[in-house]
Parts: sequence; C-alpha cells; structure tokens
Amino acid sequence: MENTIQILLLTALSLGAVMALQRLGGLSDAPGVTAPQAAPFIGGAAPGTHAWQRFHVRYYTMTLLFVAFEMEMMFMYPWAVVFVEEGIKALVEMGMFLAILTIGIIYGWREGIFAWE
Amino acid sequence: MGMSWARAFAASGPPPVFAAIGAGGLQRAEELHGTLRLQRSPRQAAILLVLGEIAPDLLPFLQRLHDHLPHPRATIWHRATPPGDWTDPVQATADGLERTLTDLWRSILSGDRASEPDFLPDKPPNEWRGVGPHGQGGKGMMGGTPYGRPMAMTDDDLRDGLSLDAYSAPFGPFLPMLPPGLILDLTLQGDVIQSATATRPPCPQPGSDDRPGDAIARLMRVMDMPALALRRTRDGLPPAMGIAMLRRAIPDGLGRARDGTDVRDRLDRWRDKDAPQADDGTRLSDLLPGLEWHEAMIVLNSFQPDRIRAICARSGPEGGDEDDKDGNRDAPAHAPPDHGGHQHHDMTGPAA
Repeated sequence: MENTIQILLLTALSLGAVMALQRLGGLSDAPGVTAPQAAPFIGGAAPGTHAWQRFHVRYYTMTLLFVAFEMEMMFMYPWAVVFVEEGIKALVEMGMFLAILTIGIIYGWREGIFAWE
Repeated sequence: MGMSWARAFAASGPPPVFAAIGAGGLQRAEELHGTLRLQRSPRQAAILLVLGEIAPDLLPFLQRLHDHLPHPRATIWHRATPPGDWTDPVQATADGLERTLTDLWRSILSGDRASEPDFLPDKPPNEWRGVGPHGQGGKGMMGGTPYGRPMAMTDDDLRDGLSLDAYSAPFGPFLPMLPPGLILDLTLQGDVIQSATATRPPCPQPGSDDRPGDAIARLMRVMDMPALALRRTRDGLPPAMGIAMLRRAIPDGLGRARDGTDVRDRLDRWRDKDAPQADDGTRLSDLLPGLEWHEAMIVLNSFQPDRIRAICARSGPEGGDEDDKDGNRDAPAHAPPDHGGHQHHDMTGPAA
C-alpha cells in the first residue's frame, strides 16, 4: 500500500512539473517557428530532395577483422585448459589455426581494411 | 517599457552574429573573428551581418538565410549596399560597427525595434502531393514526392558500385566553411562526394591573395582550431608551432591539383610567404570526387580566393568536356558531371 502511494505521489509530481514547464513556455512572447525557419540550413540554398536516404556503412571490413580476432579467442580458452594434458600436439594445432587466421588478416590488410576511411 | 530579467541578462552579453560575406568582405570578416561572436549557423544568431556587396543573383539566398534566424532578429549592412526593398536597413561604418551591433542587439531585445518579419511565405516550399486519398502514399520504396520534393534515388557508388541512395543538394553561397558566394552542387553517398559542380563561382575578394596569414587562419578554422586562428605573430602569420600542428593534421597527398601540389605543399607556400601560385587548369572534378565532406572542405580552403575562383569558374555544369582543348588527357581521373551506370568500377578514390 505504501508503495502504491509513493508511485502515485511521484506520478502526480512529474505530471505537475511537466505542466508547469509547459505553462512557463506558453508565457514566453516569442513567435512560433515558421516554415522558412524549419527548413534546413545549407548556406542559403534550398535542398531539392528529402534528406532521408539509405547509405552503406560498409560493415564487411569490420566483420572480417571481428571474425579473425574473436574466433581466435574463442578457440584459445578451451585450448588453454587442455594444453598441459595434450602438450606438443595442442601447440601444433594452435599454430595451424593461427596460420589460417593470419592469412585472412593479411588478405584484409592488402584490401586496405586498416586504412581509416 | 522595462525588459524582463531574462532579456536584460541576454542584452548584457555580446550579440550573437552570423556573417553573410559578399564581394570584398572576406578580409574584414577575418579581422572581426577576434572581436565578435561569429556563429557557425544562423540558428544561433540574432543579428545577420552582411559583409561586402551582395550580387543581385544572391539576394534570394540572402533572404532565405535571413528567415533562418530566430526571433528577435535584425540585419546590419557593413561595406554593403542594402537593396531598395529592404525595410529600414541598418548600415554600420567601419569604426562604428561594434557600437551599432550592441545598440541594435539591445533594442531588439527590449522591443524598441521590432523583429524583422520573414521574406518567404509561412508555408512549406512544396505542397504535399501523394497518391493516396489523403495524399499519404507514394510509389514503392521511394515514397513518391512528399511535400512536392522527390526522395533520393539510387545510384552507383564510385568506390565499389554498390547501388544505394545518392543525395544531391546545392551548398552555399553563405556556408561559413565554403568560399563566400560559391554555390556547390554536390552528389553524396553517405558523406563521400560522388560528383561536384560549381553552379556559381565565389565572389571576388580583391587584396585577399597577398594575405597568407588569413588563408592559414581559415584552414585552421576548418580544422577546428579557432583559438590558434586568432593569434598572429609579428610577421602576420599564426604561431609557427600551430602551423606545424596543422600541417601534421592534414593527410599527406590530399587534394592534389594538376600542378602536383597537395594541401600540405600549398600550406608550406603560405608559411614561406611565396607568391600565389599561377592557375594550372585544375577543376573541382579533379579534386573533390572520392573525398569525404570534411576532407573536401580542407581542400577547398587550401586555395587562395583568386585561385579557387578560377577553379570554380571552369567547373560549372556545362564545363565538363573542355579537357580536350587543354590537352590534359593525362590528368588525374575525374568523374564527368553526369556520371552514372557502371563506368566507375575501375576507379579508386584518391583516399584509397
């Protein structure tokens, strides 16, 4: 019961604050926003088309890097657990795995994914 | 009539000013950066300062810019002649500018001077014309022409031919980071420029070419170093350490003109106070396609006013096929203004 009263009080308080702020805004004598003021500012010219558009952020370079480094870590944790038991065999396996991933990273490097765009 | 405490408090501060620069106003604008609160957008300004003569073809743009300012607002003409139909224009003399500005700022806040009304009618520039019974719909993904304006349509990206929306708009002539008077028609994919034409070249700025300090300061302002741009040493340039920082912040090889100089080379010439470089037939289409917006602004600000004026004058909408006359077939690859289709797949941007 006490909780309900607290919630109701808080709701009433926030509603009151919002209404007070709106009333305060209404007291201002500033004229509203007119259509020419609502237009975007691009230096005085008028835009010919709407600005709503689709463009590609080109995630695939990030994806390649993510796969290369994240998959590495995902394999390394279980590998670290069994490494002592398996010994040299596990080390060779990890070396092969890393070599394959490194090829991916070198390929990405050649394609310029480390260049900031 | 007494002012409310909020208005009195605002009036005690410096007036927020937006400068619309016309012919011959660039040098004065550079001087005023130190003393006035020049805003980057008219939304933050109360006073429109018209600096330099405004050509008649720029007046509609000035009126649209004027209407962007929130109320209460006023206009001051400084080294400029107001057109005849401008109601009750305020003109400021060379040494009385600051005083006129402050007085005007106080009087529009106190209500002694009425806020200037809009020039344009208070209705959307284009009426809504949809296809549905309530004008709500459009065709497919493109959404028709809401409010009479078309949506951006798909076009090939010049980096890899991905076909997504290309956005075209005219920028200028009073955009603070562009040379004043320049109207630049850009087609963008995201923020990468696909094609650029100058539908109107910048205003002439006599006497600005032999002021390398101003040119470096403008470049610093574009690079968001406004405090350094204000400082000048005895030789009229910003501090040498600031110039070195600026130089290092600019990518190597950015904005290579036909004579082989990039932005850094041109900055070096200003720093060493060499004579302005002769015109070499560079076009905007050599410089801008493939660059991002911010890089493009750096490149545009790396030329002296006369040279960027010459570059823009030959980069108009119809100037695309004059290459053969210059014998510049070996010039760096550039996109024709009416690019489209799949002709750019072999072309890598200058940044790649």
